[in-house]
Amino acid sequence: MTKGTEPVEGMDYFMQLEYHELLCPVVRRYAEALRAGKLIGHRCPKCGLVYAPPRGYCPIDVIETTDADEVQLADRGVVTNYTVVTPVQYYGQEETEPFAKVSIQLDDPGGALSLQDVLEVPVDQVRVGMRVEAVWAPPKERDTGEIGNRSFGSAAGAIRGWRPTGEPDLPADQIMQAAF
Amino acid sequence: MGTVPEIAIIGYAQSPSWRRAELTEPQFLFPVISDAIERAGIERRDIGFTCAGSCDYLSGQTFAFVMNLEAVGAWPPISESHVEMDGAWALYEAWVRLQHGDVDTALAFGSGKSSPGTPAEIYPLQMDPYTLTPLGIDPVSIAALQARAMLDRNLITEHEMAAIAARSRAAAKGNPYAQVSGDFDVDALLAEPYVTAPLRKHDLPPISDGATAVVLATAAKAKEVCEHPVWIRGIDHRIEIHQPGMRDLTESPSTRLAGEHAGVGEGKVDAAELSASFTHQEKILRNELGLGDDVEINPSGGALAANPMMAVGLSRFAEAARQIAEHGKHRVVAHATSGQALQQNLVAVLEA
Repeated sequence: MTKGTEPVEGMDYFMQLEYHELLCPVVRRYAEALRAGKLIGHRCPKCGLVYAPPRGYCPIDVIETTDADEVQLADRGVVTNYTVVTPVQYYGQEETEPFAKVSIQLDDPGGALSLQDVLEVPVDQVRVGMRVEAVWAPPKERDTGEIGNRSFGSAAGAIRGWRPTGEPDLPADQIMQAAF
Repeated sequence: MGTVPEIAIIGYAQSPSWRRAELTEPQFLFPVISDAIERAGIERRDIGFTCAGSCDYLSGQTFAFVMNLEAVGAWPPISESHVEMDGAWALYEAWVRLQHGDVDTALAFGSGKSSPGTPAEIYPLQMDPYTLTPLGIDPVSIAALQARAMLDRNLITEHEMAAIAARSRAAAKGNPYAQVSGDFDVDALLAEPYVTAPLRKHDLPPISDGATAVVLATAAKAKEVCEHPVWIRGIDHRIEIHQPGMRDLTESPSTRLAGEHAGVGEGKVDAAELSASFTHQEKILRNELGLGDDVEINPSGGALAANPMMAVGLSRFAEAARQIAEHGKHRVVAHATSGQALQQNLVAVLEA
């Protein structure tokens, strides 16, 4: 065979890395609240933006936030954005059917959760403006083991998903500023 | 180096070096960046360019470096860049950026949390994936090969290595950010068992979490806002071949070249902050940079006392600048390294 025309051979190399990170104090408190059936966040004392989970700072005003800035959040809100994922059966993929992940702007005092599951609605009926409420796992089944320092806006293990409240949709132009 | 505009360090700050930080990387970066800017005597909004150094493999998450930017401020938009390297290379990029002359200040920072992962498993993944990664060859093993090569050629003794550790730990007693410090007896250290022969625990750096930030300015701006700017008189970095088996590990030609181009030998050096993560590497670096016995090495304790990956090299700049700004030194060398067994090296000369 001419040099350079030999078939290219592949080689498998499977690797796995494990990380164990301590929960930072503000996220630890967020996870404790979730297990107690409450959503909490930090409200920036300067601009008023609400962060859920709390981050310990407001990146807009670049000031630190503390327990004094903690607010309890609503477990109702409106879908501001969504994406439908069509699973490709790559190694490790467990999903087989298309599913939706939505961003939710919570009712007053505000705050947003991302990558939430919607329940009781076919994927093709998920829409921006849909009013939803949290479906909490029963207290004994709440497990916040998946909540990490970088679980932006996750309530995994405590809130199973969000179902329509049946209220009329909010017009999209009312929530444009909250789109995430 | 005389043809390029002069750049100065006008502010610096570090976090403590923790074995296991409870705070997230952006959380502990937050006060470090604020402190560095405040000490520089400028406003956050004045910063013309920002460059960060960090490693997503350490964090265990893709785009983890984007989160770190929250500590800089998310609004208004900034001109920003990132290197998947130690913050010392972020400083280098910021230094290059300032040469354009359209911005007069820059922020460089480096941060890392080594505690969540297992360094011995993570680092082999940066190696050649065909012949080295499958071996699982980790930094301590490569450093041990390097130390063995030096011992076999009588370039160092285990006693000298332990003396370097003892001196570093004693120096670190004065460093509030250090993780390992105290008075240690060299013979007692030598009585300890090997971790990976011929390296004992004192030859290894600690595993650390932490962050460092440095603020740079052009000459005009530095003179305007800072009473005693620390001038970067020369800076250069060089890299060697990736495959450690193709290098003579007892030498560091990249350090020698970078030192020559940075102008280390053009004047008396008062002190040097060297990123020698392993005791024997200090001797290689001293040889290549021509630093004699009259040069104070690692007055902070160096990487053997505090080793936050991706910040440890930039810390050498902060500590070298401290020697000038706070301890009256005139000419100090800062050194940072990247890759395995001193593969890539950056050298700078700082002056009062």
